[in-house]
Amino acid sequence: MGRDEGMRESGNGNPADGKGSGTVSEVILDTNELRLIEGHGRLKVRLSGNRIEAEFHNLEGPRFLTSYLRGKPAEMAPLVASRICGMCYTAHSINAAEAVEEALGVTPDGDVVELRRLLYLANNLRSHMMHLLFLSVPPIKGLISVFRLREKDLVAAGTRLLSTSTQLIEHWGGRSVHVPNVVVGGFGALVRGRELMESISRLESLRGDARKFVEHVLEMELPELERFRTMISLKADAYPTYAREAPLIINDGSTVTDEEYVNDLEEVVKEYSTSKHVYFRGSEATVGALSRIMLNRRRLNPEARDYAERIEWRINPFLMIKAQAVEVMHYLEEIVEAGERLSDATISPNGYPCVGNGKERRADPCFSDRSGKGIAIAEAPRGTLCHACEIEGGLIKDYRVYTPTAVNSKSIEMDSVELVKRFRPLGGEKLKYVLEDLVRCYDPCLSCAVSLDFLSDR
Amino acid sequence: MKAAFYSLTSCEGCLTTLITNLGPNLEALWRIFDIDYFKLVREPVGGEKVPRVDIAFVEGAVVTSQDRKRIAQIRANSSFVVALGTCASCGNIAYSASRGVDLKRRRLREIEVFEAEPLSSHVNVDFELSGCPVSAEEFTEALLRLLNGIEPKQPDFSVCYECKMRGNRCLLEVGKACLGPLAMGGCGAACPSVGAPCYSCRGPAVEADLTAYLKTIRRHGIPEERALSAVRAFTGKKILGLLKDGKG
Repeated sequence: MGRDEGMRESGNGNPADGKGSGTVSEVILDTNELRLIEGHGRLKVRLSGNRIEAEFHNLEGPRFLTSYLRGKPAEMAPLVASRICGMCYTAHSINAAEAVEEALGVTPDGDVVELRRLLYLANNLRSHMMHLLFLSVPPIKGLISVFRLREKDLVAAGTRLLSTSTQLIEHWGGRSVHVPNVVVGGFGALVRGRELMESISRLESLRGDARKFVEHVLEMELPELERFRTMISLKADAYPTYAREAPLIINDGSTVTDEEYVNDLEEVVKEYSTSKHVYFRGSEATVGALSRIMLNRRRLNPEARDYAERIEWRINPFLMIKAQAVEVMHYLEEIVEAGERLSDATISPNGYPCVGNGKERRADPCFSDRSGKGIAIAEAPRGTLCHACEIEGGLIKDYRVYTPTAVNSKSIEMDSVELVKRFRPLGGEKLKYVLEDLVRCYDPCLSCAVSLDFLSDR
Repeated sequence: MKAAFYSLTSCEGCLTTLITNLGPNLEALWRIFDIDYFKLVREPVGGEKVPRVDIAFVEGAVVTSQDRKRIAQIRANSSFVVALGTCASCGNIAYSASRGVDLKRRRLREIEVFEAEPLSSHVNVDFELSGCPVSAEEFTEALLRLLNGIEPKQPDFSVCYECKMRGNRCLLEVGKACLGPLAMGGCGAACPSVGAPCYSCRGPAVEADLTAYLKTIRRHGIPEERALSAVRAFTGKKILGLLKDGKG
């Protein structure tokens, strides 16, 4: 279920720039290495004949993490998958744990699922704050860094939200980045709901900071670039983040199951990118905060919903940062609410299987005789994240990760073409900055995307 | 003084750790240094040009042709190079994961992919700050030492030592293939403290003794190949030294 596009020239070393696959084309815009995004990327716009084409290059080197997992014990998946990304690591480790659990027929109990959801929310909050505060808001205002923002109280408010959400992750996960406490079967260490309340109430006290920050982002002026395309998000009873066995909803009103979604994905190799692009039903699809808001905004928490009503939501990729801002408030409200439900819960440690003759064996699950397939889909900060695995005799046989950035790559290219068509009179120099802003609004994570590296099979 | 923070092939988790965990001290860095390049925090001065600096912090492993070019330029333009995190100091998971992959099977137009290497395979590295991710406290300590003309130092104790200090129950005793006795400490035994075995994400400890370790795990009935496969995960290139010592 994959194909190579324009790989005919492969093996020729570096053919001269400007020669696509056959026809003569001219590079009319080149961002060089994109600034203020996660990973290394570049955007080139070409003119061949009358046609404008865009190429979104992923220049990040592959680390072959998913192929490394093949042949390894199933319980290693969350630990290795976490290393895919330094911003949404919790999403990767929780999805990995869940995919493996489904394959092994392990069902974690309700409190475990609830606490994982909390970790997911905290990570999404942290990632959004990081993206808005450091990566997207300053350059749209024409500034080179967050520290050049004139509104110092805004920076202070954003920094407090960022560090408090990081502390939450550290408290529950055992470390601020690459959390070791998420393991197959549940949590590695004892978690007491009551202990979590302290960090949750600290977050609750930052509601004023969140309001200030969210309102600021919602009032920003952004370019107009509406273009219709397929949008996808999870669909759950509540606003979707992490929900087991929830279907996905598409903006034509139809829904698909997780299995159908994976079957409709296609990996495409591009001769200019270290990561494959992922197509949905042979074409583009956009996932992420804007898709979530457009398809699920009725389910937002009250204050976030009020904010959402201020914006006229259209399929304009620049609105993704406003969608993220609304979600910042939603996640905060959601964490506070979930914390109240969890305050009496005590989750006892379970997880790693015992292989030795330790006298005091805990009731750890033993996986060495289990086989099966599992899929885990959730709404990571940047959009619908899917982990799929196959396990044989407790060992991983196949592991696949479809990241939001790999799915969005095609949309990034098509929006870039649209942008150049509409704003060409601005001239190359100015256009380059707007192009960079456009790519950044997608909050692309190239370290994530490269997990579907161009050398992986299929 | 001038400093710069670069990123090669990695998850950028080390830089995000510094950004979120240094808190207000992140901005304070600008009061100490001129910082022309800080991935994720500022647009670089001079675009892709590598500035001349006193201290360069580099996260990530060397994987692509661009990484190779970049690390050579960084070395040429920096008086002191610090490897930030396990990708930069050991090669991390990518070191083993990229071996045995047919890297020549497909080629890209503008970029070439090689087997992952730590920085030290390509250039002289002045100091290594290990960890997946690095710890903001260790970073601060190393920085303060450098600023005061004192040589920074790596933790000279194992994870096992820190784990005992925290009063944790030994995971080897419950049959888990924990690498604590072999692993460089400094993380505060983050993983064993939540019941997860140590994977030695900082590379081997100074006192690592593989022969003695294997003897111990045999006594606990933990299969040797399981522990060795765990050692191979994060230790990257530094596994070679450890295996040599173990057999010798």
